[in-house]
Amino acid sequence: MSNYFNTLPLREKLNQLGVCDFMDSSEFLDGVNALKGKKLVIVGCGAQGLNQGLNLRDSGLNVAYTLRKEAIEGKRDSWKNATENNFTVGTYEELIPTADVVINLTPDKQHTAVVTAIMPLMKQGATLLYSHGFNIVEEGMQIRKDITVIMVAPKCPGSEVRAEYVRGFGVPTLIAVHPENDPEGKGLAQAKAYCVGTGGHRAGVLKSSFVAEVKSDLMGEQTILCGLLQTGSILSFDKMIEKGIDAGYASKLVQYGVEVITEALKHGGVSGMMDRLSNVAKVKAFEISEELKDIMRPLFQKHQDDIMSGEFSRTMMEDWAAGDKNLLAWRAATGETAFEKTPAGDVKIGEQEYFDNYTLMVAFVRAGVELAFETMVQAGIKPESAYYESLHETPLIANTIARKKLFEMNRVISDTAEYGCYLFDYACKPLLADFMTKVDTDLVGKNFNEGKDGSVDNRTLIAINEALRSHEVEIVGARLRKAMTAMKSIKTA
Amino acid sequence: MSQPVVHITKLNLKYRHKPVLMDLNWTINRNENWLLCGTSGSGKTSLAKAMAGIGHSYSNIEINFNPQSSLPAIAYYVANWFQFKDLEGQSNFYYQQRYNKQSTETTATVKAELESFGKKHSLSIHEVDRVLAALGFSELKDSTLIQLSSGEHKKLQLVKALWLKPQLLILDLPYNGLDVLSRKNLNALLEEISEAGTQLILISNEAELPGCINRIATIEEGKLVEISADERTWNDIEASDKPVPTFLSESVVNASSAEIIRMINVNISYGEKQVLKNINWEVKAGEKWVLHGHNGSGKSTLLSLICGDHPQAYANDFHLFGNKRGSGESIWEIKERIGLISPELHWYFDPSATVWQSIVSGFYDSSGLFCDPGYSKKAKTDELIHYFGLDEYKNTLMNELPLGKQRLALLARTIVKNPELLILDEPCQGLDQQQTLHFNKLVDELCKNGTTLIYVGHFESQIPGCIEKRILLENGEVKSVETLLESVL
Repeated sequence: MSNYFNTLPLREKLNQLGVCDFMDSSEFLDGVNALKGKKLVIVGCGAQGLNQGLNLRDSGLNVAYTLRKEAIEGKRDSWKNATENNFTVGTYEELIPTADVVINLTPDKQHTAVVTAIMPLMKQGATLLYSHGFNIVEEGMQIRKDITVIMVAPKCPGSEVRAEYVRGFGVPTLIAVHPENDPEGKGLAQAKAYCVGTGGHRAGVLKSSFVAEVKSDLMGEQTILCGLLQTGSILSFDKMIEKGIDAGYASKLVQYGVEVITEALKHGGVSGMMDRLSNVAKVKAFEISEELKDIMRPLFQKHQDDIMSGEFSRTMMEDWAAGDKNLLAWRAATGETAFEKTPAGDVKIGEQEYFDNYTLMVAFVRAGVELAFETMVQAGIKPESAYYESLHETPLIANTIARKKLFEMNRVISDTAEYGCYLFDYACKPLLADFMTKVDTDLVGKNFNEGKDGSVDNRTLIAINEALRSHEVEIVGARLRKAMTAMKSIKTA
Repeated sequence: MSQPVVHITKLNLKYRHKPVLMDLNWTINRNENWLLCGTSGSGKTSLAKAMAGIGHSYSNIEINFNPQSSLPAIAYYVANWFQFKDLEGQSNFYYQQRYNKQSTETTATVKAELESFGKKHSLSIHEVDRVLAALGFSELKDSTLIQLSSGEHKKLQLVKALWLKPQLLILDLPYNGLDVLSRKNLNALLEEISEAGTQLILISNEAELPGCINRIATIEEGKLVEISADERTWNDIEASDKPVPTFLSESVVNASSAEIIRMINVNISYGEKQVLKNINWEVKAGEKWVLHGHNGSGKSTLLSLICGDHPQAYANDFHLFGNKRGSGESIWEIKERIGLISPELHWYFDPSATVWQSIVSGFYDSSGLFCDPGYSKKAKTDELIHYFGLDEYKNTLMNELPLGKQRLALLARTIVKNPELLILDEPCQGLDQQQTLHFNKLVDELCKNGTTLIYVGHFESQIPGCIEKRILLENGEVKSVETLLESVL
């Protein structure tokens, strides 16, 4: 197997990277009909598998689960999840041969083994559904030519997929059809029907391609979503300890701050987030985020370049082959940081205080979101795809940090994202060493406005507001957010 | 005479920028147990929270605890609403999550919850068993918090308070969701702790109260007004003379099938625990049923099956609206035919939706509104808002309203689409007497047009007149099914 993307001529690379269509709700009027009466078999029953299956069944579709023999015989959690909710469960041999659609919801690392095992069992003309394109694009998995290959990727954790469905809504979803495997031309209709089945059609659906999904997803998770949130959190905590801020307070500010700050981002974009600061703080946050963008730009570009060339997936797969040597070492080291080991103090921090006392994180988030977005768009990814994989997902990841710090974030995200996150974090911290020596507690730990008279130059402020609001991520974001109405607000402790 | 226990002078309080208490004065002396009653939104809950020092402490509320008493010197408030968290300290739960098997193990058990409460207040764990038994709660000790029904959550709150025995105990709508026996036992326990020195303030509009209540007050125009027991008006309430909107009163409901529900030997279990056993039940189009049973008898599980909310529906022989469950129908096709109100629906409802959005969302069976409803649905909603007297709250967020007003909005949501099946699970929780009477008259009116009704209510006084059949559940089994002869139709 060789990297699929690298086998393509430049013309076709650009063509596939450029698939990006925010679909109108009228495209879903056919409901679940394209899958009605068909036999859907889900491989794997973790959080995504179970919750997508519950939704599909509640939408009137026929759903069963297939697990490896050992999981069934050992009555593992995946077996319990499926049987206790009254689904049929069987081995690959029992269920795959009669399946019309096989849904692969196992972790990336297992894809090659799983797909190799199920493909010979699949009937002629069946459909194979992925929720991530890594196996097809980076590993170059070749699928039998009679099989249709599609992707449906809900852009939320599995429990949200269920929670939003039962309240009559859904989560934003990305769909794609693999151009090498659409022999009957039915891929798109089935992907759309699957979206309706999980409720995604009510929350905004982006038609993408396997290539665009992988190259943007990897970039987002490595840089702004996980990598920079980790780097920013650790540096902020260490700075506060260095400057004598109470450790419990520092721990709480960092743990919950990123969630509160990105909640503003979710509703109002980068400018909505920056507007939560006082005028003086906004001017300062703008200035240092400009500086941060300059410092980090080469690193963001390196990550994007390595993702495009396949270098990133090559080195990660080497680590898979070495029994996750690097991944496990990095994971252990993250568990040992001072931030991770200091429990959040029993202090009350008001919602506005998270902005006023953590201006540094606002600057980090603005720099990271804009840089990730700009770098993706420069590499040929369309703005809508870049928006989903940068700004849109940041609050979701921030929520996992609020739950149980970085350990929880790295547990919830995929191994692929986790690997990329550490890679970024280890390269980014030394880059920021000089910058951090200039940071004092007014930017992190204490109220930035304290002791300042609050006056700013009108022209400076106008220029900053203009720069923030006219950025392409804001223009695209305003349009997409309008389609994702009534986003639920994340509750904070 | 010793100094008063509570002395409030000139208390002014706003609820979301609107003044509710204005120069309120109140003196509570030793051995007094008060009932606070009156209309929804008059400021009872705000006053209670202020006395317990929740959110803010007020210098014009003076509480003098008895230093000689062995009881904890605190004013403990039992809220009209319950809250719980998962093991990670989050309270981000979703509607009917408790029926999704994978998600039930993320919250603490009742036992662990009680142990941590006992530890916090240095209470002896042995003393809680008697309270648990009296409220019929002992068997639930190993349940996780998310598995509890709303009535059971209410009981857990009460168990904690009765175990703690604070010097001043403020109970806000303590009878909500409790069955008749539990109410009786609660009153006995309240009398007992009052005997032992706890002073009570009870916020309620119920008729059955503990005997130790010796003073009664309402809040009128922001001030406390003491009334006599006779002044608590029960019978002479005039129902509103507003006509029922014609889109509801004049349209005949066409049933999709002669048989609305048919259950044959339906069983639901969680691991070893069987919650419903061999349920057989038929409901024909147009019938008006009341569903009775103690807390924990399986009522809410039974209703969740009918509403398409329970995953185990797919493993049972069970027909809804003429179709077998699991024969290719979606839950949205089922919900389309049902108007539902339940404590659960209220608890999980989107608090950031406005009153108007909440009511319109009844057309789509969603929690909160996600699309533009178009002219006719908007017009119907406006008519109903006027009928329920909610005009001034039309654009107010649900979480900015007191419980009673939220409930009215959700009742309007329940009926707005004039569904063929109405499921009213304790619809009048949190409403005052007049609102309850008013709503039940409306239900009677609606049901004249062929609507099928399933009504759950623990209080006889709250049940509408049109009821003609009764099913009684006991420990997950059908104990009896009967036709009520004295039906007043």
